[in-house]
Amino acid sequence: MAILRARKIKKVYGKRNLAQEVLKGIDLEVDKGEFVGIMGPSGSGKTTLLNVLCSIDQVTEGMVEINGSKLQGMKEKELANFRRDQLGFIFQDYNLLDTLTVKENILLPFSIRKMPRAVVEARFREIISILNIEDIVHKYPNEISGGQKQRTSAARALVAEPSLIFADEPTGALDSKSAVALLTNLAQINEQKQATIMMVTHDAVAASFCSRVLFLKDGALYTELYRGDRTRNEFFQQILATQSVLGGDGHEA
Amino acid sequence: MKLSQLVFRSMRKNIKQYYLYFFALIFSVTLFFSFITLQFNDAVHQATIKSGTATAGFEVASYMLYFIVLFFVLYANHLFMKRRSKEIGLYQLIGMRKGLIVRLIAYENILLFAGAVAVGIGIGYLTSRLFAMILLQVIAFDGIVVGMSFSLEALGSTVFVFAILLFIVLLQQAFFIRKVSLLSLFTAAKQGDERVKRMSWWKMLVGFLGIVFIAYGYYASTKLFEIDENNNLFLDMFIILATTIGGTFLVFRFSVSFLMNLIRLKKGGHLNTVDVVAITPIMHRMKSNAKSLTLITILTAVSLAITTLSYIAYYSVEDAVKTKVPADYILMDEKGESFLQLLDENNIAYEKMDFPFTEAMVQMERLLKHRESEGYTFFKNEISLSVISQTAYNQLRPEVQLREKESIVTGYSGYVSALVPLEANGTIDVSIGEYSDELKVVDIHETTVLGSGPFINGQPMLVVTDDLYELLERANSNKEWPFWTKQTSVNLLDKDDLKQAEALYTQSGAHEFQIAEDSEDTFTKPSQEMERNDYLRAMGVTIFTTGFLGLAFLLATGSILYFKQMSEADEETEAYNTLRKIGFSEQELMRGIYMKQLFNFGVPLLIGLLHSYFAVKSGWFLFGTELVTPLIVTMGLYILMYFVFGVLSISYYKKVIRESF
Repeated sequence: MAILRARKIKKVYGKRNLAQEVLKGIDLEVDKGEFVGIMGPSGSGKTTLLNVLCSIDQVTEGMVEINGSKLQGMKEKELANFRRDQLGFIFQDYNLLDTLTVKENILLPFSIRKMPRAVVEARFREIISILNIEDIVHKYPNEISGGQKQRTSAARALVAEPSLIFADEPTGALDSKSAVALLTNLAQINEQKQATIMMVTHDAVAASFCSRVLFLKDGALYTELYRGDRTRNEFFQQILATQSVLGGDGHEA
Repeated sequence: MKLSQLVFRSMRKNIKQYYLYFFALIFSVTLFFSFITLQFNDAVHQATIKSGTATAGFEVASYMLYFIVLFFVLYANHLFMKRRSKEIGLYQLIGMRKGLIVRLIAYENILLFAGAVAVGIGIGYLTSRLFAMILLQVIAFDGIVVGMSFSLEALGSTVFVFAILLFIVLLQQAFFIRKVSLLSLFTAAKQGDERVKRMSWWKMLVGFLGIVFIAYGYYASTKLFEIDENNNLFLDMFIILATTIGGTFLVFRFSVSFLMNLIRLKKGGHLNTVDVVAITPIMHRMKSNAKSLTLITILTAVSLAITTLSYIAYYSVEDAVKTKVPADYILMDEKGESFLQLLDENNIAYEKMDFPFTEAMVQMERLLKHRESEGYTFFKNEISLSVISQTAYNQLRPEVQLREKESIVTGYSGYVSALVPLEANGTIDVSIGEYSDELKVVDIHETTVLGSGPFINGQPMLVVTDDLYELLERANSNKEWPFWTKQTSVNLLDKDDLKQAEALYTQSGAHEFQIAEDSEDTFTKPSQEMERNDYLRAMGVTIFTTGFLGLAFLLATGSILYFKQMSEADEETEAYNTLRKIGFSEQELMRGIYMKQLFNFGVPLLIGLLHSYFAVKSGWFLFGTELVTPLIVTMGLYILMYFVFGVLSISYYKKVIRESF
């Protein structure tokens, strides 16, 4: 069952002669329980695609539908409610609030929805045990490491059990060990809780945790790879091969 | 690129940041220039020259204004530099020498100051006219059309003061740039922020202590003017100031975080929107904000108290005048006959009351409410009081009926009656010549019957039965110069005649009295209108200068709070961005912002209001007779102005939140 459907989405920045087409009509479907990676060289439109899919940015043309609701035509307030109820976000620079403790940061999504405290507490316990951050819940963001910050950010995205989780370069600022730990957690949650995740990354290792990887080039869908029954390592090799064909920043990984 | 090009380019790019600083400068110049212009204005000069205190008042006020402007500009500069720390760090990173950066910043400031002084003087020239009209209005000075000329003296002194200020600002900046390391420049914007740790027990204790200090200061202030044996007014004042100011700091530094932390701990991590947007950032910044909030609160309290007190004095002019000159005209014995004739000739209708009076020596210690204390030596000695008969007194208070050996003390009002309260349940010793007796005091009145001076003992005075009055008058009949025996109070029936009557009063010579029997020198016994004008002139200048300074203080503190909120909003853009991504709507965030502004403007205002309320309450009676109206009016104005700043700040936040996404 498709949880996200995008039809012919175009994104143009600037006006008239200066106009630059960043997305050139992309069609996309994501099923429930999928872990989708988006890759591509710098400037291929990965982040723009993610932003228009997750309602942070508007498409110039085309339509995006998540869980049966069309994003285009929604008012600002409806969009905010939609993000609150349906979406979770993980960002490269964590986006934690410095003034809140880890626990308060994780429970932020519940600040704006009514839910019994016991239920919230139970979900919180579960997610911190999966992500292995039980020991730091009373600390402030400046007292914990980057990996812990990112797992806190992930916990915040997951705790409300959204229909769809968007992650923009979640491992971009992490060392490889923390990155692998986080990705393992994400894959585990994807499997256990049937959470649907879309992740932008330029890191082939990160992409190899996905069940499907889309490659963008110059604002259009270039190709896509399914992991199928392959091991993570085999999938990784295949991603690397595709990246080298695509050119660009393959060596960065 | 030449340095001058770099200066202009960076100013053009940073216009938004400069705008705030530039505005602060213009505002200071405007205030300063219009005030100095007033001082040098002919019309104002003529109107105030008669009052020695007015000139001194202007002088003191202009020094206060230096202080406000200095404080305000240095603070604005401090915020401005903090905002630009990154830019300065970048210049250093690309290899610019510190000396060059200092020069760069200095050029910018010279340009800014020159611009601000030019614009500010332009605006100040216009506003000074408005201020002059207000001033002449409050001192009830009519007849002169305010012709405002551009004052070169004011220009000179404004340029001079702001040149010095520029020099101080440049020193501050050079010091800032030379002192700091590259790394700290990049993080300067975050300096002073504190992560709230778990509250230790002693912090809670100190937080609690802050509240206790303030409460004690308030309590002590209500006791300040109660005279008792171990009274040391200055020590008491010092203790009150120290406890309230210290308490205010502790409240901002610890109590606020302490209370908020209690709320927060109770939530166990489950915060609502207001907690996220208002409470936690406030706690977070309390360490760096405590000092400035304390300063702002104290300044608010002081200026509010001064404004209120001078307004009380101004508001009570009528009462003060009536205590000194209880009727339109006070005539003594036959000296006023010529004036009354003139009134008749000119068909001016009036009513008159005769008050024959005499004197007696009175000892009234047993009336004292606090007899045990050691002060009041005045009341423990025999003092000479004026005495009138009941019949005469009945012209003013017809209900009074005295029996034998009964008396009334009247004309006892004002701050003396507040400082030394008397009780009407004792007896007094009255004696004159052969006569000596003990009288019962049945009541104490505030009614003023006899005006003060010349040769009349002021307040209080005694009312006795007609029989006793005759007795006293006889006993007192060995006349010596000057010995007046009758006062005639004249009130005009139609106040439209006042102007004409005033002229007749001086024409008749009823106002001139010899200083001594063998002296040619005279002095004037003023009519009520003359007295009123004198008072208004003196009080008017006071209320105007304190009102002006109060306004300057208010605008300075309000702007600082507003600037602080602007930079806080800028620093929190990222957090708002995150929250909106998570799904907080603009409206939900704004609800938190309203609470935050309520705190940021409301708490300094509330504490400031409380401080000034207790300050005013402790000693207002020294300044006048009416507390409630002046207090409500000045406090209302302050609340209104803070409200305006709060609304400005909210609209800035709205913009930041809208654009954060």
